[in-house]
Amino acid sequence: MSVRATIIDGPLPPAPAPPPVGDETGALLVFEGLVRRSEDGRPLAALDYEAYEPMATRQLTELARLILSRHALLAIEVTHSRGRVPVGAPSLRVVITAAHRAEALAAMGEYIDLLKRDVPIWKKPVWSA
Amino acid sequence: MRVKVLLFGPEAAATGRRELMVDLDPGATCAALKQALGRAEPALLPFLESGRIALNSNFADPADPVTPDDEVALIGMVSGG
Repeated sequence: MSVRATIIDGPLPPAPAPPPVGDETGALLVFEGLVRRSEDGRPLAALDYEAYEPMATRQLTELARLILSRHALLAIEVTHSRGRVPVGAPSLRVVITAAHRAEALAAMGEYIDLLKRDVPIWKKPVWSA
Repeated sequence: MRVKVLLFGPEAAATGRRELMVDLDPGATCAALKQALGRAEPALLPFLESGRIALNSNFADPADPVTPDDEVALIGMVSGG
């Protein structure tokens, strides 16, 4: 079982190749959160993300450990942006491997809900001119 | 004791500040700290009910004491993800 959480500057790079499939792996689930084109009806150019470190990485990690254990996952890896991320680019990636799809799907939803409640990261809109 | 409280996101924007110094009695709790924040900076009042205090990068309970050596942050509504 493995957990990894990282905060990087700027938009996330393309998703890496999937991890090697273990004997028990039956599900690999990838979620990417993208910066939308508009917010509250106004066109966006980007979002600026601010993170309170080291608490943000610690919370991403501890929540991942909680979800890994609660749903008996095989692995969970989280990457979140800090700084400016342009429209259309990913600012969050969560990769879950599990034995079955049921626990992977349930875990993904719960983890993102917890992230949005408990991780000290804030976004600020950069409006299009 | 004098305590520095870090501000982020909407709270930093509302006050125009990234940190705020607050005077507390020795042994004051996080609940008392929130009240002191509101007195020191009224612009924080709308954020305090839902805001949480973090001590040394961990969310604290309202009854937890604040010490002069703690790194203290006011964590309001977050918006990551």
